[in-house]
Amino acid sequence: MRSSGTAFLKGLGALALLAVVTGAALRLHVNASTAGFVYLIVILGIALWSGLTISLLSSIVAVGCYNFFFLPPLRTFTIQDPENWVALVAFFVASLVVSRLVVNARGQAEAARARRQEIEALYSLSIDLFAATSRVGALAEATMRVLTKVGAASGGLVLFGSSSYMQQVVAWSGESEDEIKDLIAGVGRHREPLEFPGPHGRDVFLPLNVGGHIGGVLVVRGSTATVRALESVAALVALAVERERFMAESAHVQALRESDALKTSILRAVSHDLTTPLTTIALQVESLRQKLGANPAAAGSINVLSEQSDRLRRRIENLLTLARLESGKFVPRPEPTPPADLFHTAREHLAALAERRPFEVQIDDDCPDAMVDPVLAVEILVNLIENADRVSPPGTPLRLVAHRHPVDSSRVRIEVLDEGPGIHQTTEPAERFLSEAEEEGDVGRRGLGLEIAQGLAAANRGEVSLSNRPDGGAAARLDLPAATIAAAAEVAV
Amino acid sequence: LSHPRILVVDDDPGIRSVITEQLATKGYESRAAADGREGIDSFRRDRPDLVLTDLAMPGVDGFELIRRVREVSTVPIIVLSVRGGDSDKVHALDLGADDYIVKPFSMIELLARVRAQMRRSSGMEVREQLEFPDLLIDLDRRRVVQGGRDVHLTPTELAILAVLGRNAGRPVTFDDLIAKVWKGAQGTTNDAVRFHVGSLRRKLEPQPSTPRYIMTEPWVGYRFIAEPIA
Repeated sequence: MRSSGTAFLKGLGALALLAVVTGAALRLHVNASTAGFVYLIVILGIALWSGLTISLLSSIVAVGCYNFFFLPPLRTFTIQDPENWVALVAFFVASLVVSRLVVNARGQAEAARARRQEIEALYSLSIDLFAATSRVGALAEATMRVLTKVGAASGGLVLFGSSSYMQQVVAWSGESEDEIKDLIAGVGRHREPLEFPGPHGRDVFLPLNVGGHIGGVLVVRGSTATVRALESVAALVALAVERERFMAESAHVQALRESDALKTSILRAVSHDLTTPLTTIALQVESLRQKLGANPAAAGSINVLSEQSDRLRRRIENLLTLARLESGKFVPRPEPTPPADLFHTAREHLAALAERRPFEVQIDDDCPDAMVDPVLAVEILVNLIENADRVSPPGTPLRLVAHRHPVDSSRVRIEVLDEGPGIHQTTEPAERFLSEAEEEGDVGRRGLGLEIAQGLAAANRGEVSLSNRPDGGAAARLDLPAATIAAAAEVAV
Repeated sequence: LSHPRILVVDDDPGIRSVITEQLATKGYESRAAADGREGIDSFRRDRPDLVLTDLAMPGVDGFELIRRVREVSTVPIIVLSVRGGDSDKVHALDLGADDYIVKPFSMIELLARVRAQMRRSSGMEVREQLEFPDLLIDLDRRRVVQGGRDVHLTPTELAILAVLGRNAGRPVTFDDLIAKVWKGAQGTTNDAVRFHVGSLRRKLEPQPSTPRYIMTEPWVGYRFIAEPIA
């Protein structure tokens, strides 16, 4: 009740001032117009010093005194001369206008001061917030500082995941009732601040606009700050959240870049350090073959050694190629490539396989060359042939076929046809190899061949697919863009 | 006739030893060097008939070695390159290497390349009649017989076949073909070469699906794969 007491005292003060001024004016025998000006100045002073109510009441009292003591007939509340009526009304209106103007001006000054203070507070808060969140993970600490600054008893910061029900509590102090989660989710959905009286004063839930979306909610409990001020604080916190996300992202990108550089240097080391010993092994195996080839038992072992080291080499090369493609260190260089050359080279790569299994090659007369990176195309083909070989009964031939794509004449279709059991139509091609690998008890070989083939084909604007043939067995298809070659220049010989 | 001498330059001792050992069994006399510097020294001292060199080596690398050897000699140089190093291969050919072989290679492949280079340097390629298994190229009479049948070629096709056949076993680049067949005619593209080689292959190969004579060398050009009959 302090404020109404102060108003009462101010009212008494105003009356006392009027009484003193009236007494002084009477003693000095001032005339009516002088008295009017003196009263106006007094009202101005009262309005400056007190509120609108007191200055209005003082105006009424001043009008009474002016009439009673200074306008004839004196010592009565009546007025004879109509001119004096005009003076009295003019005085009253002037005092009212002065009161209002002065009080308004004072109110505006106060509001400006309050705003200035608010802005100063926000500024220092923003400095605080951004100094505190210059590293990833400092958001919780910064939030607690914000809550202290705005005089909150408790509260916290909750960020949303993909929906407002996926809540991540970044910082929290004080108790956390069960319904808080729903309240926060509700604020997130409705995008409007929520304000209601809580156990320790006012609780305000403020949605945070992070990069155009409501990314979380700032909860301020028991603060006296206005909702408008708190909204500004929430906007700052939202900026801090956005900043932290951005920093985390750029840290991630940086880490990726570093890991990419690491990958490249590992790749370089691996490709050199693996290729050289493999070359030595391959050459030594051949030299062994020359020395021990006459011994059938040794020859068998040497064949296995040679085939397996070949396979190891190819796998390593495939994986390195895929890694190089992925890291952009290697860009496929397509050129018109005759399918016959692809088949020939693939069989050269699979010399041991070609010795124990017959191949039938069939290339349509009108089959165009494939526009493909020849080295990658051979690798794809080698993988498809190896896979077909694994599922084919011993001694059955593999057919290598090339023709124009039956539907899209701008593509070449290369097929590896086996006489194996075919594929389960329901399973994905990759799973086909997976299940076979498991049957073989060779977990490490899971679909690697096909996956490599698919990866390499994709880099060449090609596709690999598997299907059953009507006459039994499976067809592994490699569809590639066709090359268009024209006889550009003419005969000079 | 003394044994042909071959210089083997590679920084990997395993590869050096197995290559020299294998070359010895085929009647070649070989010297080994562990890097480019040693290779250049050995070349000056021994004057080998052929150089086999790795490209990536510490210190003086294979490219520098090729440059230095080419300053003083035209002996055949075969480069041992790694996979993925296609630009290296082309660069080495530009510097004057005669052929390349991609690691890991087989000894059979390597010996075939060595034989092809030895043939070329011994001057056999000047003959106007080239004979390969099932194939006779008679350049004087402009006649080609494959498996007993006459093959009718256009002048361009015959010129291409002559260049490839004379360089049997070696890669012939598109630029080589354009220079020798089209006399470097302006505007002759690799595609034009491909077009004529494509039609040559269709006429020449008894089974186009399993080529016996002409193979494409990715990004480089072509290689005649049949070995001439001596």
